[in-house]
Amino acid sequence: MISLSTLRADAEALARQLPDLPLQAAAADVIHPGAAGRKRAGSGEQFWQYRRYAQTDAADRIDWRRSARGDEYFVRETELETARTISSWLDPHPGFDWSSDPGRETKADRARIILLSLGILFAKQGERVGLIGGSRPASLGKAAPDKLAEDLINVQSAALIPPRAQALAVVASDFYDGVDVWRTRLTPLAKTCRHGVLLAVSDPVEHAFPFTGRTKFSRPGGTLEKLFGRAETVRDEYLEKLAAHEQNLSDLASGMGWTVVRHRNDESALEGAAAVQSALEQFGGKA
Amino acid sequence: MTLGPFLLMSPLALLGLVALPVIWFILRATPPSPKAAQLPSLRLLEDITPKEETPARTPWWILLLRLGAAALAILGLAQPIYAPNAAQGSADAESVLVVMDDGWTSAQRWGELRFAGLSALDGEGRDTPAYLLTTAPRNLPADPSERLNRAAFEARLRSLQPQPWGVDRDDALERLEQSQLRPGRILWLTDGLDPETAGPFASALARLAPLSIYAATPKGPAALTRLRADAQGVAITAARAQREEPSSHFISALTLDGAALATADLDFSAGDAAATANFALPPAALARVARFQVTGAASAGTVWLWDSADRSRRVGLVSGDSTAQPLLSDIHYVRKALEPFATISEGELTDLIAENPDAIILTDIGQIDPDARAAVTQWIEEGGALIRFAGPRMAGPQVGSGAEDLVPAPLRRSSRAIGGTLTWEEPQPLGSFPDASPFAGLTPPEDIRVRQQVLARPGPELARRTWARLADGSPLVTADRRGEGTLILFHVTAGPDWSDLPYAGVFVDMLRRSIAAGRGEAIADEEGLYTPALTLNGAGRLTQPSAGATPLRASDFGSVIPSEEHPPGLYQGPAGTRALNVASEYRPIAVDNWPASATLLGDTEARTMRLGGLLLATALLLLCLDLIVALALAGRLSTFTRRAAMIALFGFSVASLITPPHAVAQSALGLSETRGFDKETAAALEMRLAYIETGDARTDRATQAGLEGLSLVLYRRSSVEPAAPHAIDLETDALDVYPVLFLALPENPEPFSASEVSRLNAYVRNGGALFIDTRRGGTIGGGNSFDGLDRILEGLDTPALSPVPADHVLTRSYYLLQAFPGRYENRNLWIEATGATDKEERRGDGVSRLFVGDADYLAAWAVDQRGRPLYSVDGGDLQREMSIRFGVNLIIYILTGNYKEDQVHIPALLERLGEDEGVGDFDVQDGVIP
Repeated sequence: MISLSTLRADAEALARQLPDLPLQAAAADVIHPGAAGRKRAGSGEQFWQYRRYAQTDAADRIDWRRSARGDEYFVRETELETARTISSWLDPHPGFDWSSDPGRETKADRARIILLSLGILFAKQGERVGLIGGSRPASLGKAAPDKLAEDLINVQSAALIPPRAQALAVVASDFYDGVDVWRTRLTPLAKTCRHGVLLAVSDPVEHAFPFTGRTKFSRPGGTLEKLFGRAETVRDEYLEKLAAHEQNLSDLASGMGWTVVRHRNDESALEGAAAVQSALEQFGGKA
Repeated sequence: MTLGPFLLMSPLALLGLVALPVIWFILRATPPSPKAAQLPSLRLLEDITPKEETPARTPWWILLLRLGAAALAILGLAQPIYAPNAAQGSADAESVLVVMDDGWTSAQRWGELRFAGLSALDGEGRDTPAYLLTTAPRNLPADPSERLNRAAFEARLRSLQPQPWGVDRDDALERLEQSQLRPGRILWLTDGLDPETAGPFASALARLAPLSIYAATPKGPAALTRLRADAQGVAITAARAQREEPSSHFISALTLDGAALATADLDFSAGDAAATANFALPPAALARVARFQVTGAASAGTVWLWDSADRSRRVGLVSGDSTAQPLLSDIHYVRKALEPFATISEGELTDLIAENPDAIILTDIGQIDPDARAAVTQWIEEGGALIRFAGPRMAGPQVGSGAEDLVPAPLRRSSRAIGGTLTWEEPQPLGSFPDASPFAGLTPPEDIRVRQQVLARPGPELARRTWARLADGSPLVTADRRGEGTLILFHVTAGPDWSDLPYAGVFVDMLRRSIAAGRGEAIADEEGLYTPALTLNGAGRLTQPSAGATPLRASDFGSVIPSEEHPPGLYQGPAGTRALNVASEYRPIAVDNWPASATLLGDTEARTMRLGGLLLATALLLLCLDLIVALALAGRLSTFTRRAAMIALFGFSVASLITPPHAVAQSALGLSETRGFDKETAAALEMRLAYIETGDARTDRATQAGLEGLSLVLYRRSSVEPAAPHAIDLETDALDVYPVLFLALPENPEPFSASEVSRLNAYVRNGGALFIDTRRGGTIGGGNSFDGLDRILEGLDTPALSPVPADHVLTRSYYLLQAFPGRYENRNLWIEATGATDKEERRGDGVSRLFVGDADYLAAWAVDQRGRPLYSVDGGDLQREMSIRFGVNLIIYILTGNYKEDQVHIPALLERLGEDEGVGDFDVQDGVIP
């Protein structure tokens, strides 16, 4: 597993390369009320500005204490405060923490880097970030990426417990457990999280299936073993099944209103992170 | 069991071949273990059931590999022997006689002969007895009728070595007939030389039993047969048996301890049996050559031992000339002629006789005074050689009249001048040398002319006494025996005044032979026993003589045939060493008159090849290959090879770390220490300071620390970069490799021994510098406390000393100094007084080589391992710094000699040059340059 400092450094580097655009807050303030100042007037608790009374304003909005000092009426406006919660989840299966080439980072590590870099970015924009099943709830501010990084390293939770409040979910896995399994897992989550991203990280070997000859396959962390006399004969069937599985997963996601982002750990992490970021932004725009 | 050309030692093992089909079946059924692969997405394939596929079976080539290994192992266990010769010997021969030529001629191909002998029994039954007959004569010959079983026969054959003498086949045949042996068949392993004895011997053997012969004729040069030495060098003749092909070899000239001095080519042209190698060596080098050897041949015959007939002599020279013009004197020519061969001493006649040299040479001495004459006469009669040269004094009227006048023959009263303006005769060339003369064999050069000589009175003995004549027959060299010794007279001068003889190379040889003849070595030495000192073994190496070697009479050299009593080698006798060479005048001729009934074996037929080990090794190799293949098939090879490469790399780097060749390490102070060399080499490779060990541990430690401190300062501040200092034992260590020695005396120093002081003297005389610190400057009571220094270094060659003058180079060789403080202040430093001695006797170009002080300088310089000062200094750090600066000045002064002194004059020289500048060269007048 990747070390905390490496993870943090990689993620910081990645976050610097990502475009620093805030999520579309116009949509966000409706959907996701929170506590982050939006630098404009709106519903919130912090004072924003005094404004001249307009005819359209209700009379009870006049700030009498301010207005008493002069002849004009003033309306007290507070700053718009919204914050969204972005909750991530990382598949703890040993098959996910695996790479076909020892020199390449594992799929889980790649997912950790992407999740943390997005966490850093969102935390800077004032969003709440957290890990589903993590040791602490999603949090704001500068310390939030630190907490997220620690949780990403330490927490090995298989349970996909839905967060209490409305949130954007990012679920990272290789999704090889079968669509039915995932449907049962994701359905409770989809009830609280109207939108989410399935980050499917895969290894190039899983797409290429370069095995020939007499080969005994095993699934990491599992007891499943299969022996094929000539592995190359299974290849076409395997690829077929893989395509069908991916299609099923996409169907499942779109049925829930979620998006699937596919990433391979031999691609650059930037692509994956940018894809996840743009998917999250789209949710902001659509809603 | 015989199977074609193969013999099987344990044929039952072949039954194992029956098991091969079973092995094949088992191997076919057990496929190699599959490759293991991890795949997280395997869940996708969960519902696929693997089809039954055909190649779940061992591939055919693996099958072949393993079956081949098994078959080879079975065949190897059957111990087959390839013996194409086996068929012709009847399998039930009741016994085999192996006759082996073990003379020196067999040594070159001894391995092949022995190998052929070892395979003699391979075709026979298990219990067939063998008999062994060797043809080189021994004092106690082995009984050929001794019955040997197979193991004993092999052991006997393996222990057999070629003898350094020749074979005697008649004797061997006689022994065989006496033993009444009736062998079933005979195998004769021969050197294939000497047809006149080999033919009858083979016929006699063939009459006894069926005979097969394996002849290993020496391939290269078989023998060194002759050596011819003259003033120009040495010519060695080698002979060979196979004369068809041209071939080239090398002959090395070796000293007695085996160092090669020179190598010469030996080229046989096609059809020639003999070839000659010429060594053109300087005579001095030639005098060290003890033997000649054909490179790469190991046999007693390919070594030629060269005895001491031409070794270095001791010769005394007495001259009547004055030494005013040394290059024109007669003695000069004699000395130049003899220098390469002889140790020359000069002096008065009586002194030389006391030294008892091999020969005394007198050039143009007329009268010998009576005392000396008596001594000379006695010395000659005890075996000396007196060689006299004629000259104007000898041609005087009073010489040569009586027999006691020490001339070999009575002389006429005056000399004879030939070819002068008043004579009709031409100057005479040399005639031939008489056969009885020691000069016989020398070639008289034709361009030598003798212009003047003294003449002997004709007499009946004159012809016998004449060693050399002129072309007209008049004697040039006469000699006469007196007692044990010889009196020799050259009738000309030793210089070129009377003849051209001293210019000729033959003059050198004549002198050498005269000196040798004087000791009676080359002539008329028929007496005396020579005991073997070093003998050759059959492989041509010098060894200690065996117990059977007996002394040899001097007269027998040249006629004796080397044998066990008289093995070839060097014999020590009254006249030095004589060599007995086995192959002298030997002519190797290959045998071609084999009897028709004998079977002549070729090289391949005579040998057998045991294949068991080879087959088993191949089987093992195949199994190793199979292991690698199995690993590769299981996909474990990549990590395996990577790890193996890592281990190999690690091992290599560790090995290279552990054994650094001649690593230069750094000491704690940063001074380099050369490791891996002995002390002397290390000191010669890098400049370093050194001190003389006094035996007092504390003082030596302080001195060592002081020199380390000084070395460090020198390293940092100047371009002098000394290595770590050495401690020196005056008795044993080489001193000349150090530029300077330091001696710091302890409280109660032990006196140095006389030999130590004399070595120290030699060191200082040869340019070394000696710094003595008595370390007594701190004691109360002024003056320099050098008491006892003359007691400690008694006999040290000390010139007059004086305190260092104020303007001495020592004050400015690196730093500008006013004084030379050490640990104590205001002490005088004493050096050699420059003006005190004559310029002739000044040592080292006026640079003082001796420094004596008492201020405990070394303690002031001393530092510990971290470079911190060790001892307190009177004046604190400032004085310490000044003391160190003095040390730097001292070393620079010692190392640069008078260079720095000359630099003092540079300003004056420049000034003087500057005076001439631009003045007087051109006179510019009116702006016109003329």
